[in-house]
Amino acid sequence: MERFLRCEEDRDERVFGLRSIRPVWLCAFIALAMCVVGCNPTKEEITARRGVHQYLTGNFYGSMHTLEPLANEPDENYVLNNLRLGSAAMAAYELDEAEAAFVRAYEVLNAGSVNDQNRRTAAVFINEKMKIWRGEPYERALCNFYLGMIYYHRADYNNARAAFENALFKLRDYADPDRDEDHFREVENNFAIALLMLGRSWIMLNRPDLADACFRQVVDAYPDFGPVAQALSDRSVNTILFVEFGFAPRKTADGMDGAKVSFVPNPHQAGLVPRPQVIVDGQRVNSRPFDSILFDTTVMAQDRLWQSIDTIRVTKSVIGTGLVVAGLGTAIYGATEEDAGTAAVGLALAGVGMLLKESSEADTRQWEMLPRGAFLVPLTLSPGKHNIAVTFPDVPQLDQEWDGLDVSASGDRLYFVRLMPGRFGPFAWPPIRGADPMRTYNGPMLIEDDED
Amino acid sequence: MTSCAPKNALESGQSSALDQIDLISMTDQMAMSLGNDPGVIKLFQQHGPLLVVVQPVENRLTAEVLPRGPSQLFTARVRTQLERNHSSMFIWINNRDTFYSLRDQELEGIEPGPSPDAINPEYALTATFSSITQEDSKHRSIYYLCTFDLSSLSDRTRIWSDSYDVKKIAMKGFLD
Repeated sequence: MERFLRCEEDRDERVFGLRSIRPVWLCAFIALAMCVVGCNPTKEEITARRGVHQYLTGNFYGSMHTLEPLANEPDENYVLNNLRLGSAAMAAYELDEAEAAFVRAYEVLNAGSVNDQNRRTAAVFINEKMKIWRGEPYERALCNFYLGMIYYHRADYNNARAAFENALFKLRDYADPDRDEDHFREVENNFAIALLMLGRSWIMLNRPDLADACFRQVVDAYPDFGPVAQALSDRSVNTILFVEFGFAPRKTADGMDGAKVSFVPNPHQAGLVPRPQVIVDGQRVNSRPFDSILFDTTVMAQDRLWQSIDTIRVTKSVIGTGLVVAGLGTAIYGATEEDAGTAAVGLALAGVGMLLKESSEADTRQWEMLPRGAFLVPLTLSPGKHNIAVTFPDVPQLDQEWDGLDVSASGDRLYFVRLMPGRFGPFAWPPIRGADPMRTYNGPMLIEDDED
Repeated sequence: MTSCAPKNALESGQSSALDQIDLISMTDQMAMSLGNDPGVIKLFQQHGPLLVVVQPVENRLTAEVLPRGPSQLFTARVRTQLERNHSSMFIWINNRDTFYSLRDQELEGIEPGPSPDAINPEYALTATFSSITQEDSKHRSIYYLCTFDLSSLSDRTRIWSDSYDVKKIAMKGFLD
C-alpha cells in the first residue's frame, strides 16, 4: 500500500508537475474549465421549442404533431411535454388527446418521490434539468384545472369535480427555504377559478349545499368575484365561456451565475388587465359583472407560495462560489509554497465548486402555453345555435368569433375561447376533427345594438 | 447490484392510486361474490338468464380523476370473469356509450355484444368508488371503498351488493 501511495505521488509530480505550477496557470486552468462545462440544448429540446413556437403562432395541429413523439418519451421532460401537448390539443378542441396528455402529466404529478436519489445527485453535480420536471405549483394547479374543464365540457361532472378539488392542494410557506426544506406552514390555496368551477360542478351534481360553501369561500376572499359566483350558482345559466388571453411570464435565469429564477414580465410590466366584451348574435351582452380576471399568472409567478422550493432558493451557487474562492486560495498558497498536496486539494475544491456553480444555473423549463389569465362569462341564452364573439375593445387585434355554438335546453355548455393575435375566426361549431377550424377572417364584427 | 442510472418518469414515482393488482383482486372477488350469491342464483333458477347492462364506475373519489378507460375497465372485468365462470346465468348488454365505443373497434376483433337498442336490460351492474385522503408533508394515504351493485331496473331494488376496500400509502420525496 505504501509503495502504491508513493507511486501515485510520483505520478502526480510527473504528470501534472504540481510542484512547479504557477498561480497564473491555476487561474487560467479554472477559467478554461468554466468555459468547457456548459450545456447546449438537446435535439428533443429544439423539437419541443418548435412545437411551442407553432402553438404560439396559432398552428395548434402542427404543434400537436411536433409534440406527440416527445410526450411519449418518459424522460425528465415527460410531464412538461404532455402539458404542452395538452394545451395544443385543447386549443384545437381535440379533447380526447388533451385529456390523455393531461392525465399522463397528472399521474406523475400526483405520485410521490418521482425524483430518485440518482436524479437528485445528477441535478446537484451536473444540471438542474436532470430532474423530472414537475413545474411550479401554479403550473400543477392549472394542469388539474384544465383536466377539470375538459371533463366539465363533456358533462362528466364527477370527474370535473375531482380534478377541480385536486387543483386546490395546499401550498407551502417555507420559513427558511435555503436552510430547511422540512419546515413549512401549509396554507390554503387561493386558486379562485378552480373553486368557482368546483362550486358549479356541485350545482350540476345536485349538491347546492356543497356548491354554496365553495362560492362563499370565493366571495369571502375576493368580493369582486361575487357576480361570477352568483351566476354560476344559478341553474338557468346554460352557457359558460372560458376566455383566456395573453401569455404567462417567461421564466429566466437571473442573478449570480444565473442561479436565481425571475419571471418576466411582472404584473406592473405586463400592464393593466384588459376587459372582455361578449357579443351574441351581433348584440353586446352586459358582461361587465364578469370582467374580473380570475387568475393572473404574472401575479402568481411572483408569489412565493406559488413557487417551488428550487425556484425560491439559491444555495448551490453560494456554496459553489465559496468552494471556488477557498479552493483557488488554497491552490495558490500550495503552489507558492511548492506544496503539491495542498495545491491538489485546492484544485479539487475549486473543481467541485465550479461544478456546483455551473450546475446551479436555474432550471428555466416552463409550460410556455399558459395564458396570462382567464375570465368566466356565464350566460343564459335561448336554446339553439348562436354566433358568439369575444373581443377586448382596449386591445387591438384581440378578438375571436364562433359560429353556431350549441345551447342546450337542458344542462349547460362550456366553451373554450383561447384568444391569440391572428386567430380571429369565425370558427365553425362543432370543429371538424383533424382540421383546423380557422376560416378566412371576414373583417370587423357587426354590432347591432349598444350595451346598456 | 443496483443501477446508477436514474429511473425514468414512469418508473420512479410512488403512486397511491388504485393499480393493476387492485383491479385484478377486486374484480375476481366481486365476480366470485356475484356468481355465487344465493339471491342471484335463485333469480336465475326462477326466470332464466339475467339481462344485465354494465355501467362504468361512478367516480366519487376525493381529488382523483377516473378517466373513461379505467372507469369502464373495472366493471368490464367483472363481466368478463362472470362470462368465463357463470356463462349461463347472465346475458350482458353494454351500455350505449360502451357499445358504440366497442363497435368502433370491431375490426380489432372485439365483439360488442347485442345492440342496446335491440334488447331491454332488466338489471344494471354498477360500481361506485369513494375515498378518504389524508396528506401531510411526508405521506399521502388514501382509503378506497369500491362498492359494486346489481340492481333491478324496473323497481330499483338492490339484488346484490359487495365491496372492496384498500388503503394505499405513498411516501413523498424532497422534491414533491
